[in-house]
Amino acid sequence: MRRRPIRHALKRRLFAAGIYAALLGMAAAFLFPLLWVLGLSFKTRLQVYAVPPLFVWKPTLENYIAVLRNGDFVQAFVNSLVIASGAVLLSLCIGVPTAYAMARFPFRGRSFLFFTLLVMRMLPPIAVLIPMYVLFSRLGLSTTRFSVVLAYTTFSLPLVVWIMRGIFEELPRELEESAWVDGASRYAAFGRVALPLIRPALVAATILCLQLAWNDFLFAAVLTDNATKTLPVLMAAYSGSDTGVDWGGMTASGILVVIPVIVFSFLAQRHLVAGLSAGAVKG
Amino acid sequence: MAQAGIVQRREGVPTGVTVPALQRAHRWLDGQFTLVATLPTTVLMLAVFGIPLLISLYLSLEGWNVSQALFGGRFVGAENYHDLLTDPDFISSLLLTLSYTIVVVASEMALGLGLALMLNVDLPFIGLFRTALVVPMMMTPVVAAFCWRLLLDPTNGVIDYWIGRHIVWLGQPATAQMSVGVVNVWQNAPYVAILLLAGLRSLPSEPLEAASIDGANRLQTFWHVTLPLLRPYFVVALLLRTIFEFRAFDNVYVMTSGGPASATMLLSMYTYLASFQQFDLSLGAAASWFMLVISLLLCLLFIATIRRRSTV
Repeated sequence: MRRRPIRHALKRRLFAAGIYAALLGMAAAFLFPLLWVLGLSFKTRLQVYAVPPLFVWKPTLENYIAVLRNGDFVQAFVNSLVIASGAVLLSLCIGVPTAYAMARFPFRGRSFLFFTLLVMRMLPPIAVLIPMYVLFSRLGLSTTRFSVVLAYTTFSLPLVVWIMRGIFEELPRELEESAWVDGASRYAAFGRVALPLIRPALVAATILCLQLAWNDFLFAAVLTDNATKTLPVLMAAYSGSDTGVDWGGMTASGILVVIPVIVFSFLAQRHLVAGLSAGAVKG
Repeated sequence: MAQAGIVQRREGVPTGVTVPALQRAHRWLDGQFTLVATLPTTVLMLAVFGIPLLISLYLSLEGWNVSQALFGGRFVGAENYHDLLTDPDFISSLLLTLSYTIVVVASEMALGLGLALMLNVDLPFIGLFRTALVVPMMMTPVVAAFCWRLLLDPTNGVIDYWIGRHIVWLGQPATAQMSVGVVNVWQNAPYVAILLLAGLRSLPSEPLEAASIDGANRLQTFWHVTLPLLRPYFVVALLLRTIFEFRAFDNVYVMTSGGPASATMLLSMYTYLASFQQFDLSLGAAASWFMLVISLLLCLLFIATIRRRSTV
């Protein structure tokens, strides 16, 4: 290789500086809306509407205290928590064994099942929502949390199967095979050998599912009522009303809604790619 | 296969001894593992997907309203579909959705590719930027749209303050369309970036090295080596984004509810309003079948893509 003179080193530095500058600009643009709203949530009523907008102020917690004292918000928080965990739990119990069977044993209809799951995740939710609404109201399930849990499995079940199938496929089968030789049943090999080995991935799949369920608005908007509504429904109702009313309270609620998902999703970053791409791209 | 079965039976069952029924049941149950593991999934899929789709098809062929019994509607054949195709609002909503999807997905792909290329450079602290970028994507869409509504607010919003002009962003058709699109790109370009970054990281290093030995500069290497290698990832991201943008709903609902004057009336919004505001569920079901068919075609394209790749 030819020797590169000092000019080359300078060029490299400039290149790095350019990349950093561009990335900083991007990060600022991508984070600004959330950071600005975070700032608003720590402002008093007067500070929120100050002209020009305040960039330095003494933060107050009054908005958060007000939100946490608001029974409506707390109720919606509990509903969101119950519904999201219910949907994820159901999807894990049903989806993980299916993912394992798909990864380990060839059976008739295996790829059909997998691709139907994929289609279920990708078709517009409103298409299943309309008949679900009709069906649930005829079955006496309408506006119950259970009906929303069922609706959420349309996306959380496929997600569990996508992620876990990939994980089980990467797991060497020797351990399970030696368990079979020792006389263990397939159930035991799955439950006592394979499952403990993939626990970290299971946690990641759980988090990604929780995030999807927590964030959903459309299903919850139609299938819940005042008593069972979730946080996104509450937030949409806030912004549907006149936004001039109470920015402090609304922004504090918004921050309380997104903080859990953002914090949790950092923990699942390693499996994010497989979750986003139906396992078509390995992370 | 058959031979293996015979050998197994000879080993497991010594001649003249009958296997206890319990053990036989165990073995039978063990053989049914895949069935036991997949049956609940299949049943649940039928309950939340298969049966609802059939009911939706049925509804779309009926003149049905909420007060009637489930199967008490009047069969009208394709009348609902005919109504939609002769409704200028539906047609403009369909066209709007198609153009919106194209513009938003193209912007997401371009921005996502740029981000992925920058994040792929080996520099200190680059991981920090990657983490920062994930934040908008993970945010609850309703809250993300809500944040932007406050930023764009004409009286107290910081954007109008900065540009020093009073613009009612969500009050005029053109700016409302743009705002809704920008929020979607802002939220989902990182999705593309993350998929493409995963692709860039898994590219084989030999062709890139060969290109640099041959004296190709950065741009040439990118255009003639990196981009072609990245193609499969690009296609996956493109199809997934198209599928998801086509059904965009949350940010439209929060920011404009389809307005002003139907300027942001995307198909999912149109379907939602028909079904749950006018409570014409039959018409809504018919409209949703238009969306279903288009999405299904995209899905099949996606499936064909990933199948072809996994067999190579």
